[in-house]
Amino acid sequence: MIILVNLIILLLVPFLMAGVIKKTKAFWGGRKGASIFQPLYDFVKLIKKDFVISRTTSAIFKIAPVIQIASVLFAAMFVPLAYGSTFLNVSAGLIIFAYTLSLGKFASLISAMDTGSSFEGMGASREACFTAIVEPAFFMLIASIMALTGTTTFDSLRNILANAGSYGILIIIFAAVVLFIMILIEGSRVPVDDPATHLELTMIHEVMILDNSGSDLALFSWANGIKMLLLSSLIAFMVIPAGLNEWLSIGLYLLIMFIISVLIGTIESAMARFRMSHVFEFVFVMSSFALVVLSLVVARMFGG
Amino acid sequence: MSSFFIGLILLFFSGIVAAKCPKNFKITALSILSAIGSGFCFVPALHSLLSGEYFVKTFVFNDLFGAVNFVIDPLSAFFIIVISVMSLASIIYSKGYLKPYIEKGKNINAHIVFLPVLVASMMAVVTCQNALMFLICWEIMSLSSFFLVIFENEKKEVLKAGIKYLVFMHISVIFIIAAFAMLSIKAGSFDFSSFKDVFAHNAHFANIVFLLLFVGFGTKAGFVPFHNWLPDAHPAAPSHVSAIMSGVMIKTGIYGILRTLALIGNPSKSISYTVLIISIVSALYGVLYAITQHDLKRLLAYHSIENIGIIGIGLGVGMLGLAYNNPIVAILGFAGGILHILNHSIFKELLFLSAGSVYTKTHTRNIELLGGLIKSMPKSAVLFLIGSVAICGLPPFNGFVSEFLVYLGMFKGLSIHNFFSVIMLLFAIAALALVGTMAVLCFTKAFSIIFLGMPRSEAAEKVKEDCGLSMILPMCFLASLTLAIGVSSVFVFAIMLNPVNIFVDVSQYNILPAISLMAMVTLYALAFVVFLGILIFIKLKLTNGKIEMHETWGCGYNKGNNHMQYTASSYASPFLSMLAPLFKKVFDIEKPRKLFPQSAHFSLHVEDIEEAYVIEPILKSDEWFLSKFEGIQSGNIQSYIKYGLIFLVIVLIGCFIALG
Repeated sequence: MIILVNLIILLLVPFLMAGVIKKTKAFWGGRKGASIFQPLYDFVKLIKKDFVISRTTSAIFKIAPVIQIASVLFAAMFVPLAYGSTFLNVSAGLIIFAYTLSLGKFASLISAMDTGSSFEGMGASREACFTAIVEPAFFMLIASIMALTGTTTFDSLRNILANAGSYGILIIIFAAVVLFIMILIEGSRVPVDDPATHLELTMIHEVMILDNSGSDLALFSWANGIKMLLLSSLIAFMVIPAGLNEWLSIGLYLLIMFIISVLIGTIESAMARFRMSHVFEFVFVMSSFALVVLSLVVARMFGG
Repeated sequence: MSSFFIGLILLFFSGIVAAKCPKNFKITALSILSAIGSGFCFVPALHSLLSGEYFVKTFVFNDLFGAVNFVIDPLSAFFIIVISVMSLASIIYSKGYLKPYIEKGKNINAHIVFLPVLVASMMAVVTCQNALMFLICWEIMSLSSFFLVIFENEKKEVLKAGIKYLVFMHISVIFIIAAFAMLSIKAGSFDFSSFKDVFAHNAHFANIVFLLLFVGFGTKAGFVPFHNWLPDAHPAAPSHVSAIMSGVMIKTGIYGILRTLALIGNPSKSISYTVLIISIVSALYGVLYAITQHDLKRLLAYHSIENIGIIGIGLGVGMLGLAYNNPIVAILGFAGGILHILNHSIFKELLFLSAGSVYTKTHTRNIELLGGLIKSMPKSAVLFLIGSVAICGLPPFNGFVSEFLVYLGMFKGLSIHNFFSVIMLLFAIAALALVGTMAVLCFTKAFSIIFLGMPRSEAAEKVKEDCGLSMILPMCFLASLTLAIGVSSVFVFAIMLNPVNIFVDVSQYNILPAISLMAMVTLYALAFVVFLGILIFIKLKLTNGKIEMHETWGCGYNKGNNHMQYTASSYASPFLSMLAPLFKKVFDIEKPRKLFPQSAHFSLHVEDIEEAYVIEPILKSDEWFLSKFEGIQSGNIQSYIKYGLIFLVIVLIGCFIALG
């Protein structure tokens, strides 16, 4: 039952989150905005469309979106979704999760390079670079928490308070900040990237899929949404207490997804994206917060 | 065991026999003979690896050597299997690779003789358990590989790289000789088993000997800072030789370290940390410099350093597990490290061979001049892609399995309640994650610049067809191995427990959780492959007719050409610019001058920081010091006789003093 609910959440909520973000931006902009189901309608419309494909491309370009979506869906098996239920709750699931996502990223990078466009090369190069900084910080964060709680599954995120006492609140706050920045980077949101921009030179993720059309484009943006949902789920898993009633827990989960979307929308309305050189600094902020978590954990484990 | 020696002897002489064959039949003969030879060696090794049995054969040559034991234990067996399978694939590949050289009339006899000698000597190295005999085999291995490297010795840079390799190997062997000499003096014999007692009784001595051997063997393996020969020797050698050297030969260095560990038994904490730190540095250094390279084979050579680092991290974690008495961590670390030896040899060989295919067709190793090759060489492109995904450690290929085991060992190691180990392991986890993502950056760069987009030069444009079957088939075999190991990880892990048994008594501990986890990973990988296959099939079937072709989007500009594509340097530049202090960049700029500029060019290449700031200054000061003695070399024969006389007199006086 709960698996079914989670499957529906996994497949649908990414669209709703995108819709909520757009709605929030419309609200701050003083507009009425499209329905929050608009991204879903867009998806359906794109799926039905034919393709326009560059002559330079090869078969890589055609199968990359499929690899991307498959890897994101398989990576989702290891993440605790609503009610903290994980399809495969295994030791070191973090590694399988991250490396499966990397496979999708690998596919999307070479698919961008397949077009021979300098814009897409630019996007791919930036995306690869950000990943290289983000991933170690993410690993360090989760591994520190695992060291603290003594378990090697994602369950350790839930046991922070039980193991760290008063340090726990601090650790949770900093960890949530790290994960939130990671959502902004991986989901290519402002201030890292502006999904609404129309200048190819300044884009990152969006510029990589310039030449994708039809269902390819739909799959790429869906996969991106699911990735954001997965990372948000980690925050939700950390915050929602374990012993709650099933439906209350699912409700809380959806509420947190809603809050995160509103937060992203608000940030997007309140500030512009950074200049590219500052983006790198921003990405390093995430690493430094991960280091803070690490030192908190070590202080808790070995300090007095 | 006797079949092993039959195979060994067959291998030693197969080159000489093959060299006597008619011109076009030479490599076929070599392939057949070495296949038989490797087969003879392979069978007892496989038996030992699967059953955990030991085979021992003792020779007594003379009093100097004492008893010379050749032992096939699971660890040696593992290495024999890697050596035999991987070398055979390269030798078969060499038929297609050497064909253009034979047609041009180049004499390849020496090459054919030394190729199987290298294979045989590596097998002797991993079985011999007598220090003196070991050194002899080691030296045969180094020398035969030197002759293979300088195959194109008419080129000046090839000869230079070869000599650099030779010098490095001989500096490294000094450390090994020193360590063995100290050990055999203490033990009173050259036999490895007698060293065991020496190690057991002198903990401090064991540390020193281990460090000496680590420097010696680490130079062969390519640990930073002893790695400098690798990025020069690999591009100079023919591709199948680079494949053997990078895939197999550098692993004999790892074998040496593993054998030493097996003799030491319980390593001290300090050397465990040393190995771990050096390995982390090697992994990061290797992948970082790989990103900077535009020479495909240099890039792959730096990746060898990275992967040796990952293997070393596995061993380091295993050693930490032993040192802190946490056997599960030790088992996982060693299993991951040893499995990564096999995995690296498979995908690195695959990559070197497909790089060789690209080189045979385009005659350039500079990836900036390539592009669009997936259209003319689709098979090589797919094979290179499989190798790239595998080397990045991504599921469902083999690289993931071993990296997963290493990670698992580190995560389990976090439960060791010790300040240093927790900090060390947390940083090691982050470092390994960084290495993985940097490898993704590097290989998306390499693959897409070589095979995707539009051809960047005439060399890439005029390629019409893919390589012949003798080159494609060995690569297909290796590619299928990468996938096979990736989707059968639990069986591979179970087999790896036999070599691990030499370090930790596996049967005493409960490793069921690890095995069931690996079984889950296996099922997961299988499910992933099936799911992906179905999706790709559906996608290609469904969308076949609905495609409209158009130019690549260029903001409305429709005449994009090959010079407007992103290049390898620009792809890597955002990442490298963050780490600029770690390189020495050498610019070669000729600015356009005058009213009608005639010529202008720009090129950038990155020099190894160790070469620029450590090795060059040492060589400079050496040169300065030695130049003081130039006067001695007068060139006339009388003065040389005089020197001889003076030397003899000094020796005579020395003898009198020593005896009197």
